[in-house]
Amino acid sequence: MREPGVGWYPIAATSDLPLRHVFHGQLLGRELAVWRADDGYVNVWENRCLHRGARLSIGINDGQELKCQYHGWRYANRTAGCTYIPAHPADAPARTIRNRIFPVEERYGLVWSSAIGTEELPAIPALEGGPFLPLRGIVVNAPSAGVVEQLRWYRFQPIGAAGGDAAEITLDEADERMIVLRSRQNGAETVGVFLVQPVDSRRSVIRGVLKGAVQDAERMAVLRHHNERLSKLGDAVEHRAEREPLPPALELAYERLAPELAEMPELATSGRKAALRVTIARKWLTAEGIVAFELRPLTGLLPSFQPGAHLDVHLPNGLIRQYSLINAPGESGSYVIGVKREASSRGGSQLLHDTVREGDVLAISEPRNNFPLRRDARRTIFIAGGIGITPLLAMAQTLEHAALGYELNYLAENRERLAFPERLALLGDRVKTHLGLSPEAAQGLMRGLLSGYRPHVQVYICGPGPMLDAARRIAAEQGWPENAVHFEYFKNTRVIEASTTFEVALARSCVTVSVPAGKSILEVIRENGIEIASSCEQGACGTCVATLLEGEPFHQDVYLSEGEKLSGTKILTCVSRAKSARLVLDL
Amino acid sequence: MIALYDYELSGNCYKVRLLLSFLKIEYGTIPVEFYPGREHKSEWFLRINPLGQLPVIDDAGFALRDAQAILVYLASRYDPSRLWYPRSDPKLLGEIGQWLAFADAITATASAARLHDGLFYELDVMAARVGAHRLFRILDEHLWFREQEDRDWICNASHPTVADIACFPYIMLSEEGGISRQDYPSIRRWCDRFKRINGFIVMPGIFPTSPAVAA
Repeated sequence: MREPGVGWYPIAATSDLPLRHVFHGQLLGRELAVWRADDGYVNVWENRCLHRGARLSIGINDGQELKCQYHGWRYANRTAGCTYIPAHPADAPARTIRNRIFPVEERYGLVWSSAIGTEELPAIPALEGGPFLPLRGIVVNAPSAGVVEQLRWYRFQPIGAAGGDAAEITLDEADERMIVLRSRQNGAETVGVFLVQPVDSRRSVIRGVLKGAVQDAERMAVLRHHNERLSKLGDAVEHRAEREPLPPALELAYERLAPELAEMPELATSGRKAALRVTIARKWLTAEGIVAFELRPLTGLLPSFQPGAHLDVHLPNGLIRQYSLINAPGESGSYVIGVKREASSRGGSQLLHDTVREGDVLAISEPRNNFPLRRDARRTIFIAGGIGITPLLAMAQTLEHAALGYELNYLAENRERLAFPERLALLGDRVKTHLGLSPEAAQGLMRGLLSGYRPHVQVYICGPGPMLDAARRIAAEQGWPENAVHFEYFKNTRVIEASTTFEVALARSCVTVSVPAGKSILEVIRENGIEIASSCEQGACGTCVATLLEGEPFHQDVYLSEGEKLSGTKILTCVSRAKSARLVLDL
Repeated sequence: MIALYDYELSGNCYKVRLLLSFLKIEYGTIPVEFYPGREHKSEWFLRINPLGQLPVIDDAGFALRDAQAILVYLASRYDPSRLWYPRSDPKLLGEIGQWLAFADAITATASAARLHDGLFYELDVMAARVGAHRLFRILDEHLWFREQEDRDWICNASHPTVADIACFPYIMLSEEGGISRQDYPSIRRWCDRFKRINGFIVMPGIFPTSPAVAA
């Protein structure tokens, strides 16, 4: 006998979850928002938005994400990680903003979940080998124990002998949450499994499933037969329960935050971390010189991501490389990246192209987003050069799904070099390809695209360094403010000057360290046991940015905008140094 | 032009606004302050409707009261598709009449509970809630079997009718009267389908839903 409340219970019927609907469920007192994404995955979540506690069951299932009706926070399919907060359009939501999720299985036409316990959903032998017919769920305003007890005496006619009331009923199996009955008459025989879902301490749902196949008019007759008899049974239990004292309400424990999110990262000097292990589910040539990888988790769910996010891939030869996710919103079962073969490869792209195969395991970091997408622009212009398409493709798919105005300009050498053509095709005429342009022609094109700043328009650019430099210069000439022009460099081609010596005070940690020639601020901070996230470590991605409280920085990165550099409030600790003798960082 | 004597928070007025929107008919509104002004019981309004109830329409001098009656009139007169109130189908007309009466029963229970909770009406709110749950249980069962036959709407037609409009508002506002719809999953799905009807508009307390399925 299982302990009450432990293990799996049915919480809905498969037919309760049509596409784009949110089912309002409850199990053992805990309210659940249950929804099916367009990819078929069923999500079972705590029914409250992490922001103001509004019920997510009145939210909007857009097929890929669930949007809270109150202030529009969006949560990703599978992980329930927050992907967007409309009130903070320029920021990437923190990884800790993740709703509580519960395990889910779909079997025998029912959706199952479990609030306590980790064992697998046990099979119901009476229903194995199908076909089966799920009955209408009957709500009973009474504790589940009384409903289960009454079901022992439930009488029904077998399929094929609907008339009369003379069937012989035998009890095949019974426990505290399930009754299996067999009905026989004149050679007709039907097995019925009747499960009782404890909604809360005073309410239950009878979820019946018959073994057997039945079509059309007879199917409706069978469904009505059970609906009528189970409703009558439920009414009888309700009447009896009305005369009994109300059982106390179930007490619920609300997790404030999943433990792995609540933990502080351990102090370590190990540097960049590869927290995840993934297998290469698919590797394919998506364009000339560009290989795509679909990465699946070895176990569990992948952390949620936002458009513009990248991850570190730790390669078998020790190199660490950054690649942008090209996933569309809600595509949360795997990560997809595109890798261009670099002519001057130091072994990163070359290894991924030539050596790594499908089925191999890779170590990767959690996705990080230093290139967040605003969704409050009236129009968004994307300009991608070559492999720079990757983050912008993720963004374009997001705006396409949200039906927001955008255009995706894609510059490439020729048609064969256009990556992810199947995804581009889904975006239709929003995609404008510009093939084989000389640098001068490309600048002419960008001058046209960026002619005259218009308020409420945002520009996102990603591509080779010279193209980005030109685009940023043109945008500035045309009067675009810096906060409307977003860019991401693949790499920092500047020669990094590292010959100076200076002092760095870490205000929060109460530590002052001295940075010698040949070492970065980041390295020295880590050597002193202070953890700081980093990724590319060459001043391009922005992961190791720190707040500067005092001192004059010497910026050597390509991540910060000119305005940010002039303001003197931020510094990239991996490459930048000091012009003054001392810097004070908010670390 | 049609004039609607209207109160923003009234589900019965919302029924009329919904149909006018579905039929793309231009209209004007004459606001009547139901609460706290009690303007529907004022002398000038009682001359228009001696029952002192909203809504009332005035269609070029033809005045008509009662939400259900107005739905029947507007659909009969202004719906060229004839789908909202199919006058030539006697069985369907009978069904529609049956569910319009059901909608009135919803008003008498679910709407009454909402008036008690929201606008401090003195009435037996427990009885109103029990009555609403009884009706919702019946409608949920009805809609579940309709779904089993691949039918989306309350009546036996492939297009929604005025019966759907008449039942929708006070079901969708029931939680404002302390009546949860959690135990009525078929009603909840029907509400989603209703919100996807072309021309659907919202009112305070009623939210939109997502488009049906990606293209």
